[in-house]
Amino acid sequence: MTDQKTGTVLVAGAGISGIKAAIELAESGYKVLLTDASSQTGGILSKLDYQFPSDHCGMCRMLPMVGREYSSEYCMRKSLHHENIEILPFTDVQSVDGKAGEFTVELVRKARYVRTEECNGVGKCLEVCPVEVDDEFNYGLTKRKAIYQPVPHNAPHMLMIDMDACTNCGACVDVCYPGAIDFAAKDKVETREVSAIVLASGAKLYNIHDAEDAKSYVVSKDVVSALAFERMLSSTGSYQKDTILRPSDGKPAKKIAWIQCMGSRNRRQKREYCSSICCMFALKEAVLAKEKGGSDVETTIFYMDMRTFGKGFHRYRTKAVEEDGVILIRCRVQGVIKLPDGQLQIRYFDPETNSFFTKKYDLVVMSTGQEPFADHQKWSQITGAQLSDRGMLTTERNSNVRLVHSPGIFICGSLMGLTDISEAMSSGIAAAGETTSFLKSIDVVRSKEEIVTEPISELNELPKVAVVICQCKDSQGAEGLDLDLLANSLKKYSGVHVVHLAMSICTSDGEHQIMEAMQDHNCNRLLIGVCQPYLYRRTVKNLCKKAGFHSSLTKIYDLQSLVRRGAQEPDRRIWTKKVAAELGSEIESLKLKSALPMRIMTINQTALVIGGGMTGMQAAISLAEKNVPVHLVEKDKELGGLVGRTVHATLDGLTPVSCATDLRLKIYESPHITLHLNSEVTHSKGSLGAFQTKIVNKDTDEKSWLHHGATIFATGAHEGSTDEYCFNDSDKILTQTEVRSGLHSGSFDLTNAENVVMVQCAGSREKGKLNYCSRICCMWAVSNAISIKKKSPETRVIVLYRDLMTYGFNELYYTEARKLGVIFVNFNLNKKPEVSISEEGKPQVSFIETVINEPVTLEADYLVLSTGVAAEPANQSLSKIFEVPLTEDGFFQEIDSKWRPLEFRKLGIFVAGTAHSPLPLRDCLMQARAAAQKTYSFLQGKELQTARNVSTVREALCVRCKICVRVCPYDARKYDETEQRITVDSAACQACGMCTVGCRNNAAQVPGWSDKQIMTMVDQKLMADLDFLTT
Amino acid sequence: MTKCIELSFTQVDFNSQLSQFFSELLDKKVLDGIMVPVRQGEGLAMQTLVTKTKLPEGADPFAPVIPVNSAKLASTLTATPTGKRVGLVMRSCEIRAFIELTKLNQASLDEALIIGLDCFGRFENGDYKKFTAAGGTTANFLEKAKSDEAFSGDVHLCGACTICEFPTTDIADLRLGLLGAANDKVIVEAYSEKGQQALTDANLTLTETPSSREAAIKKLTEVRLAKRDEAFAAYHETNDSFDALENMLADCVNCYNCRVACPVCYCKECVFVTDTFRHKSEQLIGWADKGGSLKLPTDTFFYHLVRMSHISTMCTGCGQCTSACPNDIALMPIFRTAAEKAQTRFDYQAGRSVDEPQPLAVFEFDEMIEVTGQEK
Repeated sequence: MTDQKTGTVLVAGAGISGIKAAIELAESGYKVLLTDASSQTGGILSKLDYQFPSDHCGMCRMLPMVGREYSSEYCMRKSLHHENIEILPFTDVQSVDGKAGEFTVELVRKARYVRTEECNGVGKCLEVCPVEVDDEFNYGLTKRKAIYQPVPHNAPHMLMIDMDACTNCGACVDVCYPGAIDFAAKDKVETREVSAIVLASGAKLYNIHDAEDAKSYVVSKDVVSALAFERMLSSTGSYQKDTILRPSDGKPAKKIAWIQCMGSRNRRQKREYCSSICCMFALKEAVLAKEKGGSDVETTIFYMDMRTFGKGFHRYRTKAVEEDGVILIRCRVQGVIKLPDGQLQIRYFDPETNSFFTKKYDLVVMSTGQEPFADHQKWSQITGAQLSDRGMLTTERNSNVRLVHSPGIFICGSLMGLTDISEAMSSGIAAAGETTSFLKSIDVVRSKEEIVTEPISELNELPKVAVVICQCKDSQGAEGLDLDLLANSLKKYSGVHVVHLAMSICTSDGEHQIMEAMQDHNCNRLLIGVCQPYLYRRTVKNLCKKAGFHSSLTKIYDLQSLVRRGAQEPDRRIWTKKVAAELGSEIESLKLKSALPMRIMTINQTALVIGGGMTGMQAAISLAEKNVPVHLVEKDKELGGLVGRTVHATLDGLTPVSCATDLRLKIYESPHITLHLNSEVTHSKGSLGAFQTKIVNKDTDEKSWLHHGATIFATGAHEGSTDEYCFNDSDKILTQTEVRSGLHSGSFDLTNAENVVMVQCAGSREKGKLNYCSRICCMWAVSNAISIKKKSPETRVIVLYRDLMTYGFNELYYTEARKLGVIFVNFNLNKKPEVSISEEGKPQVSFIETVINEPVTLEADYLVLSTGVAAEPANQSLSKIFEVPLTEDGFFQEIDSKWRPLEFRKLGIFVAGTAHSPLPLRDCLMQARAAAQKTYSFLQGKELQTARNVSTVREALCVRCKICVRVCPYDARKYDETEQRITVDSAACQACGMCTVGCRNNAAQVPGWSDKQIMTMVDQKLMADLDFLTT
Repeated sequence: MTKCIELSFTQVDFNSQLSQFFSELLDKKVLDGIMVPVRQGEGLAMQTLVTKTKLPEGADPFAPVIPVNSAKLASTLTATPTGKRVGLVMRSCEIRAFIELTKLNQASLDEALIIGLDCFGRFENGDYKKFTAAGGTTANFLEKAKSDEAFSGDVHLCGACTICEFPTTDIADLRLGLLGAANDKVIVEAYSEKGQQALTDANLTLTETPSSREAAIKKLTEVRLAKRDEAFAAYHETNDSFDALENMLADCVNCYNCRVACPVCYCKECVFVTDTFRHKSEQLIGWADKGGSLKLPTDTFFYHLVRMSHISTMCTGCGQCTSACPNDIALMPIFRTAAEKAQTRFDYQAGRSVDEPQPLAVFEFDEMIEVTGQEK
């Protein structure tokens, strides 16, 4: 607030996309206000212990890998800590005034009735509170008190009081030693100045308990929502060892059914959209149910279309069915009946056998979709942003993170419509990217980091340790600490020269105190004992430096760590000694520490973008907007790629060809972009910050080396092909692309055309073929079908499909097509359509009409095949040149499909667009913006401080067995053939210590964690324990 | 079915016949050198690198003694390329250790021709000297060992050998076989393409390996396996606690002979001789103070535990540790039992295959959750 020009961004919504946007902005040097209307951070994901495809939690993987020593890395489900991010949970944005770059926002901080900064988390209040109510976090599966922690696994403990339930009995006040409870607390209104705003308030899920159309299903406590089921699988929910408990009677749930599209794809309820994520959600839950509930658990999913359209989704589905035994039944179940014995009965029609069945289940899970868009109205009122006729905030046509007519305001995550984790990540990064571009354009500066120079340490001096203990909260342990006894115990350690008791180290007052006390100390190592050090890590480290200590010769000890680990000790004296023993082992370890310099990496600030299609062009422009010089390499003679040259309009209203023209112009005009047309990459070497890549001009054979600091792959993809359905045997058999071009140019002749038949998934989603969903073909089929019907209403259009992947609002076009009379007929792999060519050369298509369940043969005037999207062959060579992996389908394989969707294990390389997977154009452009932002965050400075603590190699001991190279999970270790030694990349190394485990004789070491140090610490604790026995 | 040649030693004696065969490989330039055990006068048979066509007097590949597990010797011979093709005459335990060292980049198979021997066990060095002093020859030994007769005089096979389930090896280019061969014959089995090529290059005519060989190998392996399992059960019974283990290792004097003798202990410098284990005087006194007393030298038990954790997945059960101990600590049983558990846990077998990655050389996200207690 002191420096008006410092860029501060309000990120409204602390779900995963908001958090991601906040982290990206914070890493780019801007201050962030991260608010959330709820009392927690983490949004929907805080309820999910397990995510597809690893069936693990992986939230922490969104944290930065380079410069990890700046942010306190921590379990993200517990909480987030970053020096540039101020987190304000339980805060509403009331109003937004001013203009882009100079917004004034009014925030309402709702009363928690617990001063969380005072609360020590011991939790006596929870024990004494007499009021018990259903815990909404666990959907009533468990109980909570009136004073409670909204997210059970949050740390530090963020308690609050539910005033609706509270009886004001005061029991909690009596036991609260720090006096953190404040019944009189009031909502507070705060005004803040921000330069830009990112809206990330997510989506609300359909509530099965108050929705009209859920009534025929929700007949028992054992009918639960998909999110409630997540809590039934969680150890902080109702899960108990190896058993999924049925809510009604606590018996194990063994037969479980999922019913899809609850609240979605329902015109009557004005929810004419697909919620996009529920199919994968249900599949994952069904797989997990077997893992968590025992192999005898039977899981059945009733679905309309199994919309497994994302990268890797189709294979997950196949695995779920074939390996995990999940049963999929294509049927819209009409209701659930509760039987007298409490069992739940479902009657369904099985299209496979063409007959009705009645089955009993222990538990029914409703795959609940998205509620209509209440938040959008609110944001529209507050910010004046435009609403679409669907009730959603209107984004720009070519940028789904930028609101129309609302400069300086961006949007990401499920506020754009339900997104999966990877889209939430990409959109969060893209929104941050648009924000940084915007802030650059209005010359808002980044926050000035307080740079404190590292004092010069005398390396050869004997260790002299100063210990500072913060005493502001002597609540560590049940009865608190005897600080004099503690100080005296610590003074006995050899090498300890001074023990100082300080007040409130985290404040500036405390800082002065320490500076003074340490002035004449002459010590070279410092141990500081404070509470919640992860909150103040950088402040305390800077304080250490100011007081004359080298930051690697300082150690911060969390005085509450024993309490956190659950230690209990009623005797104050013994408690104090226990803490003394802990500090003692820190002292011994500190004595063995050596001063580590910060590793600095020189960065070449130029980026390389490979591929000049829509994605590549957008990525180059986004980088240029941030003043990053770009080499753009395109193999063809012109920019635009497949879509930018041939597709004039898409179903969702984009106009790629004209968009490509705009992008091309911007590229030609940009002083930052160097264009290399007709060129191919042949070699590359180097790593983050210092790549050298050789390109060859295909005409002139001219070779040149490009020097760059990071790379974006935007190589695109092309239309697939098939050898099925007589594809090559008739000129009446076309691809969707040919039809689209023909419709645009007018050459597609529908005169007297009686039947046009389309076959989806031709050559896709089958083993041995393109075994994935190409995501866009259903949209193209629907789009072409609509165009044909509009042009020639008499022509019969039949779409033969397996699962119609019109996710999100594309559902509207599916409806429109049906309204226009397009006939959709489902088939499965056992009963694929058959095609033969008649004597007149027309395709004859035979298929089973599902309503009458009879085989039908039609003579088609045109047979249109959706042949899918195939990976670009150039990916193969690029994968080898840059040493990054491909999927078995030939697309680039990112390091983590959910949490780092655009990154590789090898740092400084990113992927965007259809090089990643088949994607609609809007998603490609979003990924392009996100990849540009990721690139920018590495290239923004001439130097990159990587880390102090980087694993090392002791040459004399190393036997070059290369085990460390093989086990390194971050690819940080390499064997240098010319120098015949192991090298460590300081940016990639995370000091995880796997190399030291693999290395048998300590040639691989993580400084600060030497065997000697660890053995001394263990020794110290063992010795101290004996001390307690004897005294 | 593999192919082979058969060497007959009716005309000349056993070792001369084998020497002649090796000489031929050198003579025909199939090999540039051969590492083969050669009897040192009246002493032990030591591995000797021969590069001239004629093998020295006293070449005795089957001599029932292994003064040094030759995996380490073979590792130094092959670690860096020389352009010379060297034949390595080794027993199963040596070959398996050699494979482990290869996987650790300490040795290479590229220029090596591995010549395995059927192994009926070895004597401790002392016993071997007694045996030969009493006039015993390698041929005598093999005759008795093949028919499982006891040896005269107070000499016994090594404990490790009696429970070794690998009388032959599955990784070799050539195998010199007695199992399944007629009494006056040695089968030279071409056990890999490389081996077959070597015999062809030496202008030798190959025939089918007699089927009796496979049966004989199977029979002996089964006998050894039964003995091994019996021994494991016995060890488990007597060593089922930390205290029992500490007792067994109590006589250790930190001479580190077992480490030197161990073929898979491959570090240049052992962590136990680095500063990590150089304790300060005040530390020793402090430890003594706390417990009342302190056995010296320190870290003996710790040393064996660390060695066990380092080599358990690679231990081939050769028994050199026991042979090397000056205080007769029965190390082999402890290490073999631990190795058995460790290797079974990782579905790994030391020396089974060059392509099988060593457990410690693989990073897995979810591993040994039952031990780590890691929750998803």
